[in-house]
Amino acid sequence: METGSPANSLTVSLAKDLYELEAVKLAAYRFANEAAATLEPSGDRLVCTFTPLSANGDMASLEGRFRNEVIDQDLRRRIARETESTRNLILAMAFSKTGLSG
Amino acid sequence: MNKFAPLDAYQAGRGAAYQLLPLQFIDLDAERIVLTNLAGEFYVMPREAGRNFLEHRLDQDSRDYDELKARHFLTDGDSSVALDLLALKVRTKFDRLANFTGLHLFVVTLRCEHSCPYCQVSRQNDDKREFDMTVETANRAIDLVFRSPSPHIKIEFQGGEPLLNFDLIRHIVLRAEDRNLTEKRNLDFVIATNLAVVTDEILAFCREYKIHISTSLDGPEDLHNRNRPRPGGNSHQKAVEGIDRVRAALGRDEVSAVMTTTRASLSRARNIVDEYIARDFHGIFLRPLSPYGFAVKTKWFAAYDVDAWLDFYFEGLDYIIELNRHGLNFMEFYASMILTKMLTPFQPGYVDLMSPAGIGIGALLYNYDGSVFASDESRMLAEMGDQTFKLGHVGDSYEALIGADALLDPLEVSFAASAPQCASCAFESYCGAEPVYHHATQGDAVGHKAFSGFCRRNMAIFRGLISRMEADPEIRRIFLRWANR
Repeated sequence: METGSPANSLTVSLAKDLYELEAVKLAAYRFANEAAATLEPSGDRLVCTFTPLSANGDMASLEGRFRNEVIDQDLRRRIARETESTRNLILAMAFSKTGLSG
Repeated sequence: MNKFAPLDAYQAGRGAAYQLLPLQFIDLDAERIVLTNLAGEFYVMPREAGRNFLEHRLDQDSRDYDELKARHFLTDGDSSVALDLLALKVRTKFDRLANFTGLHLFVVTLRCEHSCPYCQVSRQNDDKREFDMTVETANRAIDLVFRSPSPHIKIEFQGGEPLLNFDLIRHIVLRAEDRNLTEKRNLDFVIATNLAVVTDEILAFCREYKIHISTSLDGPEDLHNRNRPRPGGNSHQKAVEGIDRVRAALGRDEVSAVMTTTRASLSRARNIVDEYIARDFHGIFLRPLSPYGFAVKTKWFAAYDVDAWLDFYFEGLDYIIELNRHGLNFMEFYASMILTKMLTPFQPGYVDLMSPAGIGIGALLYNYDGSVFASDESRMLAEMGDQTFKLGHVGDSYEALIGADALLDPLEVSFAASAPQCASCAFESYCGAEPVYHHATQGDAVGHKAFSGFCRRNMAIFRGLISRMEADPEIRRIFLRWANR
């Protein structure tokens, strides 16, 4: 990751091949109450620009929290894929024995 | 012949790589994460150890490995029944859905002799009879009640002050009981009343038909009377005298009470809990104000924010925990409902904490004018001029009401397991969809959870409950008792 901080905003640059785009979007969504996010591709990077919603927005701390959230969201998506067939099997077993499945 | 297979047979699965079972994870604090599985079981780990587990690097001889395996977070060659057990727990968790609506709310009048500035139902003055439900409307609503497939039917009388239209309550109870001679459901009745106008005649009827009483008690006399003005300024006296009369007539446990938090309550958490103990209740439900009715118009809802309420809540909760440590059996009911979700496979039927949302599925409401709504909050919103969650009229067919777009659309879009942010939240199985709240506060049934007071409040409570259990085994024992009440 590379970071930069133009006046009153925060820019975080991510390597495209390290993180899924969907994971980055989900991470940005989570902080929508603090900053408006813009995601722009730039070569092999994804540039995320955050503009604080209020003048006293904590941009310094947002950077670390956003980075951690991107990693967590990426891992969540990987686990969801890894366990998808098991999840479907369990839900099928759970609902096949009730009146819910028609 | 040896009764047992050789030791190797039992160890055959060990050493093989483990597979993750479906799970979510979230920060508990800066150092720890919480893992939750499909059935809502949770496990707390240091962040680094949790990462090792999720990356398939967990030592199979570690205590964490055994705990995670026992709680259905992983499976290996040695756990052949894990999926069956997990499926059974998931089935138990969603079992309530098969029965559909069991709770039916009748607003028999919108009139009330109290004038509470925080009234969320927008009550009308005592003399306005046009806000009473008619017998014809009630009869049609009773027909709808018994169309519900649920073997458990609870009819709850709401207001206004429902006892101001007691003749209609009597009619509904008698007609429903008569109908139930052939329906043979488990039929219960509740009257939600401030008890100010209760009479011996009413109590005798309640005793005959085993009607439970739910009342309001906001705390000590000065606070209660400030929150709940009425002619004479004696709401608290009326409430506590009423509680005593109900207990004498119906039995000790046939009356329960709920409190509502106002700005004046925030510094009084211990006083409020003490009032409930002094009145011999088993617990208290510490409730924030909701964004409906006069509470919005008078700005009482906006008088404190989520963080201020959470400080109040945790002060009250910690005080109650201390009292339990000293031998008092007394609980906080909101915590106990969440703990039931965390520590058992069962789901309490509390509308706010259901997903799919509790609207329609958890409750149907028949308003004084014959309108049918998806929940109590839906009619509160309607009194503010927003009919979004009106399903129709008691004259409509049951199929038309429960198939109404006004019900099915918000149920579908708000389903937490597919809602943005909720879908990947480890606390999703403890939480609810709450489309009416999010519609009221954000104009959207799903709502953006980053801006949601509901999300902020519940996330803090989930973390607060788990942190307390992790910090102290005695608190875990107390919470287990609350979860299995």
